[in-house]
Amino acid sequence: MQLLAIDDLSMRFGGLTAINDLGFSVDQGEIRGLIGPNGAGKTTLFNVISGVYKPSKGSITFKGTEIGTMKPHRTARMGIVRTFQSITLFKNFSVLKNVMIGCHLNSNYSYWGALFNTAKTRSSEQENESRAREILEFMGLTQYVDDLAANLPHGHQRALGIAIAMAAEPELLMLDEPCTGMNPDETAEMVNLINKIRDRGVTILLIEHDMKVVMGICDKITVINFGTKIAEGTPAEIRKDELVHEAYLGSDFDAP
Amino acid sequence: MTENTKMATGVWVAAVAFAFLLPVICGYDKYILHVGITIAFNIALATSMWLIWTLGFISFAHAGFMGIGAYTSALLFTSLGWSLWINMWIAAAVAALFAFVISIPLMRTRAVYFFMASWAVGEVIKRVFAYYRGIFGGWDGIFNIRPPKIDIFGLDINFTSRVAYYYLALVCCALIVFAIHRIIRSRTGAIYWSIHESEILAQHVGINVLKHKVIAFTTACFFAGMTGALYAHYHTYINPKTFDIWQSEFSLVHIIVGGLSTLNGPVLGATVLTIVDELLRPAGWYRVIFFGVVIILTVLFLPGGLETVPARVRALVARLRGRSD
Repeated sequence: MQLLAIDDLSMRFGGLTAINDLGFSVDQGEIRGLIGPNGAGKTTLFNVISGVYKPSKGSITFKGTEIGTMKPHRTARMGIVRTFQSITLFKNFSVLKNVMIGCHLNSNYSYWGALFNTAKTRSSEQENESRAREILEFMGLTQYVDDLAANLPHGHQRALGIAIAMAAEPELLMLDEPCTGMNPDETAEMVNLINKIRDRGVTILLIEHDMKVVMGICDKITVINFGTKIAEGTPAEIRKDELVHEAYLGSDFDAP
Repeated sequence: MTENTKMATGVWVAAVAFAFLLPVICGYDKYILHVGITIAFNIALATSMWLIWTLGFISFAHAGFMGIGAYTSALLFTSLGWSLWINMWIAAAVAALFAFVISIPLMRTRAVYFFMASWAVGEVIKRVFAYYRGIFGGWDGIFNIRPPKIDIFGLDINFTSRVAYYYLALVCCALIVFAIHRIIRSRTGAIYWSIHESEILAQHVGINVLKHKVIAFTTACFFAGMTGALYAHYHTYINPKTFDIWQSEFSLVHIIVGGLSTLNGPVLGATVLTIVDELLRPAGWYRVIFFGVVIILTVLFLPGGLETVPARVRALVARLRGRSD
């Protein structure tokens, strides 16, 4: 079943066209890789889908609803949550509190309820905390629960970023280079984690430069260059594609 | 942690008790009570300004909204003869209404642009009071604003009495601080700080950032408006200059010197600096230079402000003990 459909999408910044007539769709339950050379428009695409930018042209439909004009907090409510290329956390909060803020959408929050600390608020806060602890355990971060987010090692900060996103209970999780700056062990751990997230029924859209990762876990890969799609298919098909080779000329694309 | 929380609660209770007993302690000294009332106003203004800071913003328009409250209350008194008891709430609501309308465009700006925009808003509010002589009395302001009276159930209190007004200011100030304490301690406060930490991440987990900014700004200005009404009926005379950027800047200094990370900061800062300011009164406007020096010294030698002093002392004691062992 189709979850996300992008159709004829363009994003222009003044004279610069970052995304140009792009179209593809993502099915429910798959891990879709999104690759392309630097500056191809991958992160811009994430920003457009999540609502940071409004597209110049074209449509984005999620579960049959047009989301092109929605702001980030609305797309999050729809079930699209993303992580960031540069690590983005609530750095001066404890790890637990980070994830509890992530639970916002499912926490029955009301201003007056919070102000008067009603019974409903108290029980939902408790529920929140146990859900946050469950997610931290799932992400393998239990040992850090009370630590400050800023003090975590790099790999675990990335994992925490995903934990916050998971707390918002996404249907589509968009990961922007989750393995950047990791050593092989950390990368293996992350790949394992991404597979586990998919097994929970979350569809994943993944930007990643590490070809071993992309080829290893993606069901399908979309390749973009200069803001347009140049190829799409299974990892085996992409490996053979000539246009892709041309775009990546000079890089160690077929090393793995 | 809980030990510290308990101690903090203890200190708070002691401080409030002391404030309630102050008139007796100082032998109903009019000047000391006047300083006490000024401290109460400054605390109310600084804490409500701090509420906006929890989202990462410093509003230089804050004293302007206090002015809106003061003028609303004063005009209702001089033209309709209504007393502070009603005016206070109308003043707060009017300030909040203006804050709500202005914050929708204002809160879309960030960082230094917000400072400049809020500065402009504060300046415009002052100029409006000064420009419309017919309504607001121009630079001369409004005179003859009387304190209220209570005359029910055989209770007869006239708030022209310094002691009575001291208790009125104290109770209102305590209510404002308590309300802000409740807001910040609740999930709302967690959301505010999360916006402060990373607005973009907060947005992407489904928090409607603009909505929360507008609500926080409006709430803070509601309290500022209330403070303004209390100020007007205490001084019986107001003019536009009282509510200009300087007033906002003094509150900012109170917050920075007191500490930015908890509610203790603005309360402590406003209390200490108001007393110091009174002691330096003979120096006239040179006090402003002193305030500049204080803020620089705080940033250099006491980052985190006065609220971090207990922790620093504890750390020092622990180090000295470690050395002597």
